[in-house]
Amino acid sequence: MNSKLSESEQTAASPFVFEAAGLKKDYDDGQVHALRGVGFKVREGEFVAIVGPSGSGKTTLLQLLGALDRPTAGTLKYRGESLLDLTNPASYRAHEIGFIFQAFHLLPIFTAIENVQIPMFESHQTRAARKTRALELLNAVGLAQRVNHFPAKLSGGERQRVAVARSLANSPSVLLADEPTGNLDSESAKHILDLITSFHRDRRMTLILITHDMSVASRASRAIQMKDGQVVFDGDPAKLSRQG
Amino acid sequence: MTFFDVITRGLKRRPIRTGLTLLGISLGIAAVVALIGLSRGLVTSWTAGMKERGTDIVVHNMRGSLTPKPFPAATRDRIAHLPGVAATCMILVDLMSVETAELMIVSGREWDCFAWENLKLVSGRMPKDQNERAILLGTTAADILKKKVGDTVQIETEELAVVGIVNGGAFVENSSIILSLPMLQQITGNHDQISAIDVRVTPGVNDAGIRSLCAEMSRLIPEARAEPAGQHIANSEGYRVINGMSWGTSLLAILVGVLGVTNTMLMSVFERKQEIAILLALGWKRSRIVQMILWESLMLGFFGGIIGVLVGIAGVQMMKMAPAIRGLLEPNLSAGLMLMAIAIAVFVGVLSGLYPAWRSSRVEPSLALHG
Repeated sequence: MNSKLSESEQTAASPFVFEAAGLKKDYDDGQVHALRGVGFKVREGEFVAIVGPSGSGKTTLLQLLGALDRPTAGTLKYRGESLLDLTNPASYRAHEIGFIFQAFHLLPIFTAIENVQIPMFESHQTRAARKTRALELLNAVGLAQRVNHFPAKLSGGERQRVAVARSLANSPSVLLADEPTGNLDSESAKHILDLITSFHRDRRMTLILITHDMSVASRASRAIQMKDGQVVFDGDPAKLSRQG
Repeated sequence: MTFFDVITRGLKRRPIRTGLTLLGISLGIAAVVALIGLSRGLVTSWTAGMKERGTDIVVHNMRGSLTPKPFPAATRDRIAHLPGVAATCMILVDLMSVETAELMIVSGREWDCFAWENLKLVSGRMPKDQNERAILLGTTAADILKKKVGDTVQIETEELAVVGIVNGGAFVENSSIILSLPMLQQITGNHDQISAIDVRVTPGVNDAGIRSLCAEMSRLIPEARAEPAGQHIANSEGYRVINGMSWGTSLLAILVGVLGVTNTMLMSVFERKQEIAILLALGWKRSRIVQMILWESLMLGFFGGIIGVLVGIAGVQMMKMAPAIRGLLEPNLSAGLMLMAIAIAVFVGVLSGLYPAWRSSRVEPSLALHG
């Protein structure tokens, strides 16, 4: 609890990374309202867990934060600049954001080290530099001995560790994780969560993580609960737990 | 890992489909190499034959076919005296079925003219005079007919003695049965008829002079046409038909290749929609995705082109041995033709990849978070 307060104190003075106001997202010509006026702010270095039942709008929100999609209405800023006005969303995704997916989404035709290098093609590094960086990251996630293995030859936990390494390839300042432990057994899930939180802490990265698991959310410094496309809770995860 | 590795891995993921697509495009390119090589070979082999004989101009009556139509031998007198004409040689040439060979070039040449000078005896001797019932066989012709000096060859109803085997220095010459003009006129019933006048110009007459002489000769012999040696084949309607059919067949085969590559790349894009979305989510620009698809398509074209060239060469070698063609055609499989075939294949690859690449650019990155 004390460490959380200390983390909160540290981040309280940090600038905002994301500022969302009145975010709406409709699908199917307005028949489906995935987000109905969502607003929140995230400071640099925060660990925010987004919780809520399926269909509550969590993934849609993550898509908007990662500039994978555009909102139907509302404003969304990244470091004070509107994400809606991005002229080069690919560059934003390549250099500012690291994605971790529930289903790992490693490319099966590439080895672990090659998968980690994929995002680096947009960072204009030399081939040798890409390889060195990928090795360094795989070493950091404890897979130095598995660099030349294809995803099919790796366990679920190992695949997600490769995916974590890949998300860090271009040293992003924000990690967006979509149920990163959702497809893992409890031991692997704990290991992955430890890994992600350690990177968040050690590299002062902003971490926004979607989860169904309250025990995972409890490790965040802040929880945002969503229901029917709206934020119904934003605060201390411990209180969220008490609310059930 | 390089971007090139990304492209090649993309092609290797479905080896059977990639292989079948390569096969499709390579057959189209093989058709280009074989058919165009053969039709071009017609011109180059005849041109080489003319060059070996020292012929600069051919006066012929070859409009709608590959073999010239006979015209009166007396027409030679109208051009022989022209300034710039060093020598003339009257020739009667025909494509005939001779014994076991379905088609052979039979060339009757005016006795003692320059068209005999290039014939180097490999064995035997030259005919004693124009009335001797004798023939010379080019080395290839002797091989096709399986004849040697001392044997006889039946042409139409006449049986003639093989007195010599000669090397004429060019494919057409070596594939010919050569005899005196009066002998062939008698055998074929073309009395006082010839099918070509080979003209040798005086030293110093340049290309412009040759063209000018051709115009003058064509004017003096309206029943025939004078053209620089070799061009008479290239300009003939028969050759144009063959060339046109070769290109037409090749283009059809190429079109099948285009459809094959387009289908493969389109299926690949549809199958990889989520993978493309993941690449976009990881920061790849849409232009890089488009490049990836286009390069994959181009690589299919390039390797299909190389395989096609090899298949085409092999096909031509087999076609050359076919009884109907053997000895008649020497395919022109030049480096230029190979490069053109590969360039066509690469173009086909890029062309086929355009629509799939456009489709790939429409994939939404948000798809990465689904499934």
